[in-house]
Amino acid sequence: MISKKVILTGSFGVGKTSLFNQFIFKTFSDKYLTTIGVKVNKRVVTIDDQEVSILLWDIAGEISQDKVPNSYFLGASAIIYVVDLNRPITFQNAKTDLDHLKKIIPDSLIKVVGNKIDLIEEDKIEDLKSIMPVPCDIFTSAKNGINVEDLFSQLASELLANN
Amino acid sequence: MIETQVKNNFDEETFLANKLRDILLKNDRASIHKLEGILDNQDELAERISPIVDYKINLLKQKFPKEFQLAVNQIVEKKMKESQEEILDLIYPVLGRMIKKYIVHQFEEIKEKIDNQVSSLFTLKGLKMKIKSLIYGIDDTELLLSNIDKPKIEEVHIIERDSGILYGSATLRPTIDRDVIAGMLTAIKSFVEDAFQREQEELEMIEYGSYKIFIQNFRSYYFSIAMSGSLSVSQRHELSASILTFAEKEILQLLSNDGAEKYEIISEKLKLHFYDTEAKIFN
Ligand SMILES: Nc1nc2c(ncn2[C@@H]2O[C@H](COP(=O)(O)OP(=O)(O)OP(=O)(O)O)[C@@H](O)[C@H]2O)c(=O)[nH]1
Ligand SMILES: [Mg+2]
Repeated sequence: MISKKVILTGSFGVGKTSLFNQFIFKTFSDKYLTTIGVKVNKRVVTIDDQEVSILLWDIAGEISQDKVPNSYFLGASAIIYVVDLNRPITFQNAKTDLDHLKKIIPDSLIKVVGNKIDLIEEDKIEDLKSIMPVPCDIFTSAKNGINVEDLFSQLASELLANN
Repeated sequence: MIETQVKNNFDEETFLANKLRDILLKNDRASIHKLEGILDNQDELAERISPIVDYKINLLKQKFPKEFQLAVNQIVEKKMKESQEEILDLIYPVLGRMIKKYIVHQFEEIKEKIDNQVSSLFTLKGLKMKIKSLIYGIDDTELLLSNIDKPKIEEVHIIERDSGILYGSATLRPTIDRDVIAGMLTAIKSFVEDAFQREQEELEMIEYGSYKIFIQNFRSYYFSIAMSGSLSVSQRHELSASILTFAEKEILQLLSNDGAEKYEIISEKLKLHFYDTEAKIFN
């Protein structure tokens, strides 16, 4: 079985830990406990009879990604860059952030995730898309699990294909 | 009639042509003749050619460094770059061993000085210890340490340095998910190393209750050894030396294996090596 390091990053409070908990434990909490340091856990995802062990790193959010120690990103096969759809300030730096990440690990996959979709009214989504500096690959809700499984199975199959 | 006429004309033409050629090529003929002479005569040939050859060789000698060094350097550089990873992984344990040796040597010197001081102090306690150690045939310092918990290797892991992905592990008892332990250890390592902003310095030990996790860093991977009990400085050194031996002997070959059984093979080797080492060092 192949093992891959995947890291959740983005500004603080966007829902990285919530996505982590939803993916690993299928749980959600409304409480906001900001992450200090790093947390790592694992889940095995099966895609067409092939297993990928995803080692998911949840780190403390930073407004700008150049504040995150590079060593966290090294060796990652994929980066999940999370923004909070409800707080445009969290995707303000998306472009420079992504450039920065691509520089550190050029060969890594990057997924841009718009989280907290449950808080967005359906007719506001198009407006939101038009003001985003980079397009989101997927919209999720860590709260009710929308697209969380999809996000990780898409990622897993791309990781398998890249392997 | 016509035939002879033609023939005569032809003869005349041939004759004229030959004559003309003789006139035109007179000088060349002479040189060709001379050349033939030189070619036939080995000594003369050598005499003529060797200065030219010598000159060319000299020229090459002078120019070689300039003209070819660049090309050679480029080739060497490229080769080095291509195998940089391997070279570094190869050098790391050797370097570590050299440094270790030096440090151990320094320690022994200090210890010797202390021993000298101690032996000059004739205390009753010291005397008792000496007698005891004579009877049981063990070293004083070891006797001092014997009351303390015996060290025990609980877990050994080899972990890829950046990703925290587990290459192999050995333990005598089943533990919670080793992949997660390896990932967390790597994360903690990164966190601590970053938090203290000490470049070139790396986390070497984590203490947790009665557990100590020793970390020995190599370039692209690191060892983590979880121990219970107490370790003397010399035991710690021996453990470290044992890691170096393993790295030197096995690692490159193990890591270059890309087979499906890689993890199992590395784990098996770890088990063999470290539980054997444990018996030698700590008993
Ligand atoms: N409604 C809603 N709330 C969410 C969602 N995801 C996270 N939250 C809430 O947003 C807050 C922050 O979530 P966290 O997961 O802790 O955010 P984080 O990105 O880990 O934050 P840091 O660790 O500080 O960087 C919490 O109160 C969560 O309950 C979501 O999809 N929908
Ligand atoms: Mg968090």
